Amino acid sequence: MDEGGTPPIRPSASLGTTFPARGKEDPGLAARCANAVAPQDDEGAGLRQPALDGQAPFVAIENASYRYRPAGPPIVDGIDWAIPRGAIHCLLGRSGCGKTTLLKLAAGLLLPSGGAIRIGGAALGGPDPRIGFVFQTPTLLDWLSALDNVLLPVSLKRRPRAADREAARERLALVGLGDLAERRPPELSGGQQSRVALARALMGEPDLLLFDEPFAALDAITREELQDDLLRLCALRGSTALFVTHDIAEAVYLGDRVAVMAAGRIVHAQDLDLPRPRPHGLRYDPAFAAACRTLRGAMDGAG
Amino acid sequence: MSQRLPSLLLFLALIAAWEAWCRLAAVPALVLPPPSAVLATLGSEIVSGRLWPHLAVTAAEMALGLAFGAVLGLGTGILLAESPRLSRLLRPYILASQLVPKLALGPLFLIWFGFGMTPAVAITALICFFPLMENTFTGLTEVDAGRRDLFRMLGASRLQTLLRLKLPAALPVIMAGLRVAVVLALVGAVVGEFVGGRAGLGASIIAAQSVMDTSLIFALFVVITALGMIVYEAVRAIERRVLHRYSKG
Ligand SMILES: Nc1ncnc2c1ncn2[C@@H]1O[C@H](COP(=O)(O)OP(=O)(O)OP(=O)(O)O)[C@@H](O)[C@H]1O
Ligand SMILES: [Mg+2]
Repeated sequence: MDEGGTPPIRPSASLGTTFPARGKEDPGLAARCANAVAPQDDEGAGLRQPALDGQAPFVAIENASYRYRPAGPPIVDGIDWAIPRGAIHCLLGRSGCGKTTLLKLAAGLLLPSGGAIRIGGAALGGPDPRIGFVFQTPTLLDWLSALDNVLLPVSLKRRPRAADREAARERLALVGLGDLAERRPPELSGGQQSRVALARALMGEPDLLLFDEPFAALDAITREELQDDLLRLCALRGSTALFVTHDIAEAVYLGDRVAVMAAGRIVHAQDLDLPRPRPHGLRYDPAFAAACRTLRGAMDGAG
Repeated sequence: MSQRLPSLLLFLALIAAWEAWCRLAAVPALVLPPPSAVLATLGSEIVSGRLWPHLAVTAAEMALGLAFGAVLGLGTGILLAESPRLSRLLRPYILASQLVPKLALGPLFLIWFGFGMTPAVAITALICFFPLMENTFTGLTEVDAGRRDLFRMLGASRLQTLLRLKLPAALPVIMAGLRVAVVLALVGAVVGEFVGGRAGLGASIIAAQSVMDTSLIFALFVVITALGMIVYEAVRAIERRVLHRYSKG
């Protein structure tokens, strides 16, 4: 990407003052919407949402917009979003509303046409090794074994050592594929491939994990298993995550905070006051159903 | 083996029909020799040892032409795929070079390279170049965007992306190009010899024609076909070995 496309970096002084303040007093348009739609959501009380006093959020999306063609419509249209370190945020939205585009902006795969993305306070100017991306399809390399696929983030940097192999095996075991390490992707089922992709994303020890509907193609039960895998793995390292999905229950199950996107804007956001770790049977809990209903209303309202 | 049986039986039936027709209709051997005569000629050529040097020359031309053409085609394909600018600049010329009938270049190559193996190798290389270049280019540019994004996310360099992602992903398409090139290489070598060869199977056909030895011409057809089949099957075997890691199960 040419550096000429990078938007000017805003003076960080203004940030230092706006952001902590926003977290505390002014939750922004999105959160105000949330309160309007979800009165039961006592604001800022998300369980794992650490207080933002005095520190910028780990991921800050500041008034970001993106157009694929200069004359075309904005696909991401002035989005403000902040994710504190260690939080899991979910993004819901109908097909074509710009979720993948926003995620690619957050990954540095695309550079915003306006606004900025900051990770740990520094403006993102391109793909960053601190970020792990799990794509909509598993994107495994068919000619490598599952183990070598998981090792890819390491083997692109240096020759993998015995310890790296051990770590990769451990990751595969964590997603329940310990016995299939030597299989190649074409010999794995779709769900197993998704698991390998998940293990690979965790291999680079990223600080931020971005998920683009990684489980969309799977059956409900496999998906629930993988959701538990994911929560366990994130909790292990306290990873920060942004998870895109069109499945409301998935968003509620995974997220500390859920936003609804429509036509390139955030039209609704709410914190979820559900216990961590997610207890068994949470999906049948009235609080869970209520959250789903509110989000469904927000999505219908968004048109 | 049992799957090949019908195909083998058909072959024997056709040969028998050909033999019968030659004998019953008393076709002059100059026009169409019976298979028995062709076989006899082939046998004597093999036994006398006259065949081997020619076979070696043609095989060498084929191998050299294929090697030059394939390496050049692979390299050009990579270069064009990696540089869209260069691709826009050069593609019309490359296409034009392929649209010139290769046989028509024969006389020119004769002037440039003289009689002998060189013009045949040059024609073979020119013919083999295109399928390799085209398939390499197509294979490399069709690597899916998701995997390219993955390599960008992992901070892979351009060379790493080429060597670790694009070339392995394009390998099945490149191997298919090689398979086509191998068949064309034989055509290139034989045709090249027609124009300027002193030795080789193609040159032998011209020599046999000049003495009206039809059954020798047929015998040479058999040798050329056998050579082509052996080389093709060899490439298939290599392909299966190489692509073994790509296939299901
Ligand atoms: N490379 C591109 N060039 C031009 N337009 C694009 C490109 N990629 C996406 N778009 C457009 O941007 C819009 C948003 O696309 P995006 O992929 O972000 O949607 P999404 O919310 O991820 O949808 P889905 O849930 O179906 O994956 C769509 O209207 C799409 O047509
Ligand atoms: Mg998408």
